[in-house]
Amino acid sequence: MNSGYSRAKGAFIVILIAMAIIAALCFVLSETPVKALSLFFIGPFSSLYSLGNMLASSTVLILGGLGVSIAMKGSSFNLGGEGQIYLGGFVAAVSGVALQDLGMLGTLIAIAAGSLASGAIAGFSGWCRMKWKTSEMISSFLLSSALVMVINYLITGPFLDPGSNLLTTQKVPQAMRLSKILPPSGLSTAILIAIASAAVIQAYLYRTKGGYSLRITGMSYRYAVYSGLNTRVYTWLPMFLSGTLYGMGGALSVFGTYYACVRDFQSGLGWNGFAVALIAGSNPVLVIPAALFFAWIQSGARIAMQGSDLTSQVASIAQAVIFFLITCEAFGRTRKKGGVSCK
Amino acid sequence: MNEIPAIQLEGISKRYNDVQALDDVSLDVRRGEIICLAGENGAGKTTLMKILYGMEQPDSGTIRIDGKEVSLRSPLDSAALGIGMVHQHFMLVGGFTVAQNAALGIEKKRFGSILDTKATEDFVQKKIDEFGLSLKATDCVDSLTVGQRQQAEILRLLCRNDRIMILDEPTSVLTEEEVSRLFSHLKAMAGEGETIVLITHKLDEIKRISDRVAILTKGRMTAIRRTSDVTEDEISKLMFGSSVKLGIPRQRASEEGKTVLSLHNVCVKKQSQEKPLLCHVSFDARAGEILGFAGVSGNGLGVLEGVLGGFIRTSEGTITLRGQDITGLPTRELRKNGLSYVPADRIAMGSCAKATVSENLIAPMLGRFSLGPFLDRRRIREFSEDRISKFGIKASPDETASSLSGGNIQKMILSRETVLAEDCIVLSQPTWGLDRESSQFVYLQMQELRKRKIAVILISYSLDEILAVADRIVIISKGRIAGIMDNKEGLSREKLGRMMLGKEDRDE
Amino acid sequence: MQVILSALSTMAPLLLAALGGLFSALSGTLNIALEGMLTIGAFSSIAFASATGSLALGILIGMIITTALSALLGLFTIRFKANPFIAGLAANLLAGGVCTVTSGKIYATEGVVNFASLPKLASWHGLDLFLPIALAGTLICAFVIRRTSYGLHLRACGRNQEAISSLGLRADFYNLTSFLISGAFCSVAGAAIMFRLGAYVPNASSGKGWIALVIVYLGNMRPLGLLAAALVFALADSFSNFAQGFWNVPADFILAIPYVFTLAAMIIFSIFSRKRKSFM
Repeated sequence: MNSGYSRAKGAFIVILIAMAIIAALCFVLSETPVKALSLFFIGPFSSLYSLGNMLASSTVLILGGLGVSIAMKGSSFNLGGEGQIYLGGFVAAVSGVALQDLGMLGTLIAIAAGSLASGAIAGFSGWCRMKWKTSEMISSFLLSSALVMVINYLITGPFLDPGSNLLTTQKVPQAMRLSKILPPSGLSTAILIAIASAAVIQAYLYRTKGGYSLRITGMSYRYAVYSGLNTRVYTWLPMFLSGTLYGMGGALSVFGTYYACVRDFQSGLGWNGFAVALIAGSNPVLVIPAALFFAWIQSGARIAMQGSDLTSQVASIAQAVIFFLITCEAFGRTRKKGGVSCK
Repeated sequence: MNEIPAIQLEGISKRYNDVQALDDVSLDVRRGEIICLAGENGAGKTTLMKILYGMEQPDSGTIRIDGKEVSLRSPLDSAALGIGMVHQHFMLVGGFTVAQNAALGIEKKRFGSILDTKATEDFVQKKIDEFGLSLKATDCVDSLTVGQRQQAEILRLLCRNDRIMILDEPTSVLTEEEVSRLFSHLKAMAGEGETIVLITHKLDEIKRISDRVAILTKGRMTAIRRTSDVTEDEISKLMFGSSVKLGIPRQRASEEGKTVLSLHNVCVKKQSQEKPLLCHVSFDARAGEILGFAGVSGNGLGVLEGVLGGFIRTSEGTITLRGQDITGLPTRELRKNGLSYVPADRIAMGSCAKATVSENLIAPMLGRFSLGPFLDRRRIREFSEDRISKFGIKASPDETASSLSGGNIQKMILSRETVLAEDCIVLSQPTWGLDRESSQFVYLQMQELRKRKIAVILISYSLDEILAVADRIVIISKGRIAGIMDNKEGLSREKLGRMMLGKEDRDE
Repeated sequence: MQVILSALSTMAPLLLAALGGLFSALSGTLNIALEGMLTIGAFSSIAFASATGSLALGILIGMIITTALSALLGLFTIRFKANPFIAGLAANLLAGGVCTVTSGKIYATEGVVNFASLPKLASWHGLDLFLPIALAGTLICAFVIRRTSYGLHLRACGRNQEAISSLGLRADFYNLTSFLISGAFCSVAGAAIMFRLGAYVPNASSGKGWIALVIVYLGNMRPLGLLAAALVFALADSFSNFAQGFWNVPADFILAIPYVFTLAAMIIFSIFSRKRKSFM
């Protein structure tokens, strides 16, 4: 990895520019720009509660980022994150309630069930690609969109918790919930699981035969076939693993933060996971700082929105600008020919 | 001569990172002249021409076309000046017809923008007939053979009436007949004032076609001679410093070994076509021999490679390895059975450009480098370093393969496959595009393999190569075996050439 | 019958957006920003239509604005060599954000904006002038792509960009103009959606940009194929709406049907196109 240093430097510049843009937006859009600005950047750190919530929201981002990264390594595009997170959360919540007598063992099974269910869905897209060369990008998106609708129906219909004000499934009992860190914020041990997952994925990709085969098949299918690698498996496996990670994100959100599958909890998270992977350059280790950065921007936007007259659009605009900068920076370096450079 | 030269290159230098690709190169080319640019791989021939064509910019030096100084910042500029280039790697648009490709950018139109397909096709067909090419304007390029595709590339230049033509190794995929025709056309065009620069390795072609030959060695212009003033040997000496053609001592296979690989009555039919691509091919490859397959492109050598490599399904016949039937097994299974294979396509198939050198070296034999499901990184590193030093690969284990030169990539592939080779190895076009030093290296490796009592199957378009190295020769023509013979002294090259073209009867 | 009419109506904006996406696909660059272009087109069209009192002027100005912004995106992707996927996603986000913020500043609401002075859109049984516009657009596109030198070079660019460049044709030109065309078409598509609603509804065009991409893919990148695919999708959509009233299927399920249907169609299509391939 010969560009590690320059990549970090580039990322740093991007962050600086992003912060500058956000500052500019605050001045343009708010009557009280300084207040908005400080809420944005410092807000998430201003109390243990907001810090905890920020870290909690990064859990799904880490797992989503890992999921997309591993798919990218296998040269697949998983656009079905939204549905996969939702499904993971739903299956986990429902199985959790069904297995409530098993305590933490039940939690384990429920999380596994949620992850694998999403894995199967994404894996199906990958399998179609292997068998019939169907675009997994489009099939995962379509499947996910359909799933979101179906799960919405299930939550508001057969699985609705009658005792709750929200549109949600039944809550899982206390004994099954993941321990809290920094209560009363939403942060739980889920984040530790997420960070551990990053380490596991990194080890898998670079230290095992399977990970090697996955990467090589992603880099050059022809070469992989020629070398006798099991290209059939490694065509659908990246998608399967990707879905599993997304699903785990959803399941952990349930057992760590919401304790039930709340309708639309996943909204936007799938795409954010994608963004995180892009910022991290599909590098499992870099996913963690990328996710934290993203969570910081998201939390900052939310806090600024609550405390000042800024609207939620600031976050979207900031996110968009970051994307532009990232892609420009990454590709400004690797170009060989001359031409106009970006800034 | 008082005439202003068509091309004047003066003091051209170009540096790529730490390599001085061109060092103060100067060259004048007269209008209506055919000049050959010769030199070893990496000498700078293609770089110089890329600069002339506008694909690269020199660090210093000037270019003058017809006396006027020009700045060629992109192919657009050179195209505007009537400079055209036929590249080694084809630039045809798949799915389009010959006419569409040849006339791309200069189509016949009505009312400004609406295509007049008929007029364009007629125009292109006229050019085809004028130069006697074996193409039809309405053919789809996907259905053309490799040789025909190159003709289509040249056709494009002809349609554009470029006044300066650069051809990069144009004859590498043409038959004897096609080469003769090409050369007579080039001569005719030169007579009409066309200026032609030919990049080539081939000594006999330099003698046949060029008025002058310019020789580049390691980025410097070391000699410019009138072709009539030098012999092939002298050109070779100027290029390489020694006058030996292929320069490896012929070694004999010690004794006839056991049959290792056997094909019996193998046929390959494409679903849509009547004519089979391979028909009733039968041969035995024996331990400790080099079996050379010679033929002309489009006659079945590529298909044979695919069959042996497990990429192409046979429709009839059997293939046996060490007595075991391996017919129809895909590459994955063949690898498990000990297949060792150096493919013709070393960039897309034989190696993985985005992976590192070590990652490239271990792919077919992961089992040797694993501890359970984990990779044994220490052993991989040791192995990579060993291979790099033994084969003189100019790279480090963690370097990405895309930064390696063609010769180094081939060395990398060879270093891997020679380790894998158990009983049998297939090498297809192993020295294509390699310089003499690298080619010699490949031949030495083949001889080493033979010493190890491995059956070496060599598939090559170069008859010279086969004659120099093989113990037995198989001629493939039109998908069939035209003849199998021992490589004895006194084998008539002409006769073999005719067999390759299908003009001689079977001979055993 | 009702189903068919409603399908034809739904089809128009989808087809228009897909046609826009078609040019990018043919030129070899993936244009993910159709969603964003729809949003900008929709917002600017309806804003100017009500400001000028004329639907036509609204569409026209909307087209100009969207095309200009698409040009910016195109420049970013092509000149600065940004990753088209990421840049497209960013553009979508930016478009949504900018429109909502502008709406907030000018119309004092970030939600639905009702325009008092918006001209009515003439319609006959649910069919309005956008349908013939879409159909005409399809024919024009088919002609341009097959029969003009621009179309030929565009297709060549998509298949082998190096070939185009090495001949002195500017690949960038074809890539960039495809972005412009996408912008223009998407703008009209967005206008269609909003004019029918009679107000600016944020997120009304949500998902349509992606569906347009799917239609380009299913239609095998040919204008007439696009027409067929858009029609199929629209039929599925309107059938599911119809079924909602007819059978007692939950509303959410109905919403999912078009996606499932498209997915099934896509898979079936892949199965059959594989069978036609020869050996190897």
